Amino acid sequence: MNPHDPQLRRKNIRLALILSGFALLVLITSFPFWQNIFQILGEAAK
Amino acid sequence: MSHTSTLHDVPHHHANPTGWRRWLFSTNHKDIGTLYLLFALAMLFMGGASAMLIRAELFQPGIQLLDPDLYNNLVTNHALLMIFGSVMPAAAGLANWMIPLMIGAPDMALPRMNNLSFWILPAAGTMLILSFVVPFFPGGGSQINTGWTLYPPLSIQVGMSMDFLIFAIHLLGISSVLASINIIVTLLNMRAPGMTLMKMPIFCWTWLVTAFLLILVVPVLAGGVTMLLFDRHFGTSFFDAAGGGDPVLFQHLFWFFGHPEVYVLLLPSIGVLSHVIPTFARKPLFGYKSMVGAMIAVGTIGMVVWAHHQYTIGMSLGAVSYFMIGTIIISIPVGLMIFNFIATMWRGAMSFETPMLFAVAIILMFTFGGLSGVMLAVVPADMQYHDSMFVVAHFHYVLMPGAVFGLFAGVFYWLPKWTGHMYDERLGKIFFWINVTGFNLTFFPQHFLGLAGMPRRIIDYNVMFTEFNVISSIGAMIFGFSHLLLLYIVIKTIRGGEPAPSRVWEGARGLEWEVASPPPFHTWETPPPIRQEQSA
Ligand code: HEM
Ligand SMILES: [Cu+2]
Repeated sequence: MNPHDPQLRRKNIRLALILSGFALLVLITSFPFWQNIFQILGEAAK
Repeated sequence: MSHTSTLHDVPHHHANPTGWRRWLFSTNHKDIGTLYLLFALAMLFMGGASAMLIRAELFQPGIQLLDPDLYNNLVTNHALLMIFGSVMPAAAGLANWMIPLMIGAPDMALPRMNNLSFWILPAAGTMLILSFVVPFFPGGGSQINTGWTLYPPLSIQVGMSMDFLIFAIHLLGISSVLASINIIVTLLNMRAPGMTLMKMPIFCWTWLVTAFLLILVVPVLAGGVTMLLFDRHFGTSFFDAAGGGDPVLFQHLFWFFGHPEVYVLLLPSIGVLSHVIPTFARKPLFGYKSMVGAMIAVGTIGMVVWAHHQYTIGMSLGAVSYFMIGTIIISIPVGLMIFNFIATMWRGAMSFETPMLFAVAIILMFTFGGLSGVMLAVVPADMQYHDSMFVVAHFHYVLMPGAVFGLFAGVFYWLPKWTGHMYDERLGKIFFWINVTGFNLTFFPQHFLGLAGMPRRIIDYNVMFTEFNVISSIGAMIFGFSHLLLLYIVIKTIRGGEPAPSRVWEGARGLEWEVASPPPFHTWETPPPIRQEQSA
């Protein structure tokens, strides 16, 4: 396993980007904007 | 690529960098691991100093040494320094040092990001320390008095020190998310050919689970404190009931982070034990697969039980019942890990070098802390125990053995590998006995104090609590100062001592024992062949 192998590098960076995207998603959903969405949905259902 | 960047003045393969450049520009997992460990050690002493000041004040009823604001400040910074400054960086240091060696990889997957993850820490640590000291400067505002949980509305009212703290938490969060990403990528992509996931050493497994937990929960803490910042300065009212917000939302966000965080602190040390116990029992680890299953179960269930920290906020009966049952269920996989450790020792040819002494002590004391945890999980009981010294006793019995002593065990276990010198076994044992005795003297009496009704985070107390507080404070001084001996042992080992062979402990198995002690600057540039007995 050569760490300078471009293919492995690309694979590593791709996985790192996926994981950081995931972390950003978690960050954004921790803001409670969805509370109102639930409310609106709840009222629409009524 | 870029010829201009100074990073490239440090060639990867030709000469090894020296001087300050070696450390500042380091992309070498061993050097970065060392930096993490040194940072953690420095923070351990700062956090320990706060703790000893707290206990000095609590030696007698009445207010003797500290003013109440400073006391609250110390209670807050003690926890933050220990958790974010000491235990997490120390565990990351072990990960950096050992994971590439254990899986036969030449380095971490993203070495330059690794450099960034570490070098954010001194900046974050500075911000953290500033948040405790700015109030002492003119115009510095009030001291942080919220405890590490930072609950609003109090945290909205604190002066600018809270903004420093929020910024510090952002930096710490970025650092640990980057480090976690690096660890996951390394473990998934860089294993030597033939090392399947189920052959991976358990320490690597514990870090895989830990890293996933971190990227799942640290952003939530970051979001929570960001909203706090907005409420403080930008006129929002996320947590302000007067503006249509809800202060309890912060508690949910905080503990959604905070509970998994305790497993973040615990799991790497469980990983260390999974190597120390087989080594000194001279038997393979009992139940490798169940160990992996148990830690995944702990991580998963641990994500959904956070509100056991908030039983008293007035949740519905359904909600508290759910959180109570979920919390109690976690004790099953945790118990399984303990069972596996005991089964590993069963009929083993045991010897009790310092790491093993810590391991055995951990099993006993951590289990004890787990039992008081089950008491706290029971809703009606917790209505009594909540916010009392019983809670303080509980989490120190789980955190100190479960996290800190596990890290100590790892340091003694791998120090000869890192430095090439054996540590002084006699001093190691003396340190163990003083440390563990001091720990129990400090925290055991706090159970009784809590049950008798002494609240936590309070500078003064009723005279009827005096005796146990005196014992606890004496214990804390013994415990706190004993770490100077640890420092001495570590320095002594770095500077010299009996040379260590590559397989430092006769019972040790795994790839990390096949490289010299200390390992050369670059290891496993060609991946090692994986034999059966190397796994686990
Ligand atoms: C010299 C060693 C230590 C001593 C004497 C000590 C003592 C204390 C004391 C007196 C408190 C405050 C109790 C109160 O709220 O009234 C406390 C809180 C705390 N300690 Fe320690 N401790 C030590 C080490 C550690 C370590 C290594 C950790 C982390 C792994 C830790 C984690 C915490 C946490 C999370 C709190 C809660 C703070 C809060 O809720 O405000 N402690 N400790
Ligand atoms: Cu919890």
